[in-house]
Amino acid sequence: MKKYLRLIGVLMKLSLMSQLEYRVNFIAGVAVELGWMLVKLLYVAVVYRIGVNISVFTPNHIQIFIGIYVLMTGFYMLYYPNFAGLGQMVQSGELDMYLVKPVSLQFIVTLRQWSFPMFLTNAIVGSILIITGWQKAGLAVNVKQILGFLFLLLCSNLLTYSLFLIPYLMCFWIVSTGGIESLSSALWDFNNMPYMIYGKWIQRIGTFILPIFIITNFPGLFLMGNLHPAMFVWAIAAPVLFFILARILWKKAVRNYTSASS
Amino acid sequence: MNPYRCVFQMGIEKSLEYRTNFVLTMTSSIFPIMIQTIMWTYFYGHTDATVSTGYTYSQIMVYTLLATLVSQFVSTSFAWQINEDIKRGGLNKYLVRPVHYGAYQFCSFLGEKIPQLLLLLLVAVAVIFFSVTVFGLTLSGTRVFLFVISLLFALALNFFLFFTVALTSFWLTDVNHFFATISIVFVVISGGILPLDIFGQKAMLLTKLLPFGYTTQFPVNIINGRYNLQMVGIGFLCQLFWIVFFGLLSESLWKKGLRHYVAVGG
Repeated sequence: MKKYLRLIGVLMKLSLMSQLEYRVNFIAGVAVELGWMLVKLLYVAVVYRIGVNISVFTPNHIQIFIGIYVLMTGFYMLYYPNFAGLGQMVQSGELDMYLVKPVSLQFIVTLRQWSFPMFLTNAIVGSILIITGWQKAGLAVNVKQILGFLFLLLCSNLLTYSLFLIPYLMCFWIVSTGGIESLSSALWDFNNMPYMIYGKWIQRIGTFILPIFIITNFPGLFLMGNLHPAMFVWAIAAPVLFFILARILWKKAVRNYTSASS
Repeated sequence: MNPYRCVFQMGIEKSLEYRTNFVLTMTSSIFPIMIQTIMWTYFYGHTDATVSTGYTYSQIMVYTLLATLVSQFVSTSFAWQINEDIKRGGLNKYLVRPVHYGAYQFCSFLGEKIPQLLLLLLVAVAVIFFSVTVFGLTLSGTRVFLFVISLLFALALNFFLFFTVALTSFWLTDVNHFFATISIVFVVISGGILPLDIFGQKAMLLTKLLPFGYTTQFPVNIINGRYNLQMVGIGFLCQLFWIVFFGLLSESLWKKGLRHYVAVGG
């Protein structure tokens, strides 16, 4: 475990150094994310324009939910290039190179590159949305709330990694992977709004079967004092379960790898 | 065989090459529509959103259902290919052939769009039928005809818009991020996600003055009955104006760019 944490540190440092080598590219990367930010902020603007309440939550509370969604997008984008590049790696046979490394194949393939321009933009804007929403909604600030919120964010990160790796494993069986990217990012966008706007069945599926709603809603609900204790337990159990599932599917997928090139 | 017809057929084959990918892409385009449909239903069910947005519930639903389809239909992906051609010398092979590069790209683009158009028309018919029966959308043959015409103009306008953007590759060193940003921003400001005129008079004026709204917001608002015939006529003129404007601009950029082009590679 210690070895892997140290490796993550080294890989992050390497990625940051190579990204800062071309400063204009780094700034351009930030610009792309600002473009996407425009889409996310459009929803905040609509909520305030209409002045709608979702369940018991006012536009200020909704802003916190959208802020968490933006922040979590930042964390996901940090290692997303590895997922997106997996198909190319399988097709070109580049995966061979990593099969012989003395570390876990899943680790080195999925956490090799770290994209800081995408992370920074989302993390800054997301944090601003959460903090200003927190203030405007008049929610209490204490150590218990902050620690609980940060712990749930950590769980959400593990769940994001596990849950969104699974569709990319299809690239071991199909050639063109653009569709997988579109599908998984479309699923991610379900968290654009608090899950209370969806019907009961979508809420159940998104919480228990394909638990995308846990990722951004549960930390927010905890902050607002609306997270049921049973759901708190599920917020911890689901990431562990889905990590195990992703691990099993990864091993199954790799067994299907035939190495494309010489 | 006519070279342009051949390129057009190749475009069709290209888009149907990877069928699983095609199905996944099409499936993924359903989710944003679903999210927005649910969101608007919730907003209109819990507030008097008609006053704050200026759209009735049926209008906003028709908009949501059709805008994503139209936005996807007019979307382009050739800018990266053009950049590759310019940067790696791939343009050379077109320069020695008796074809116009812009016309070649346009035919290839249209060919790729045909399977999408057929699918879009099928889905659009279902969506419109659904809107008529469920949301009480009143429809006339004239309006459907005007919608189809505006869609074709929108397709041409978006082609020339992105062709103009793609030609900046002659001067810019790294365009990948630039193209990605432009694509996202264009979808937002063309009304591909939400109608921008819900944000008040100033936003409404801007969408009328700028070319972007004519690629998505304008065709969709024809079908949901927000425009009378006179406004549609003015809209068509604006679409034609912007097509000619970007057509001429891209032609001038192409000529200037070729003087800049160094034809690297073999």
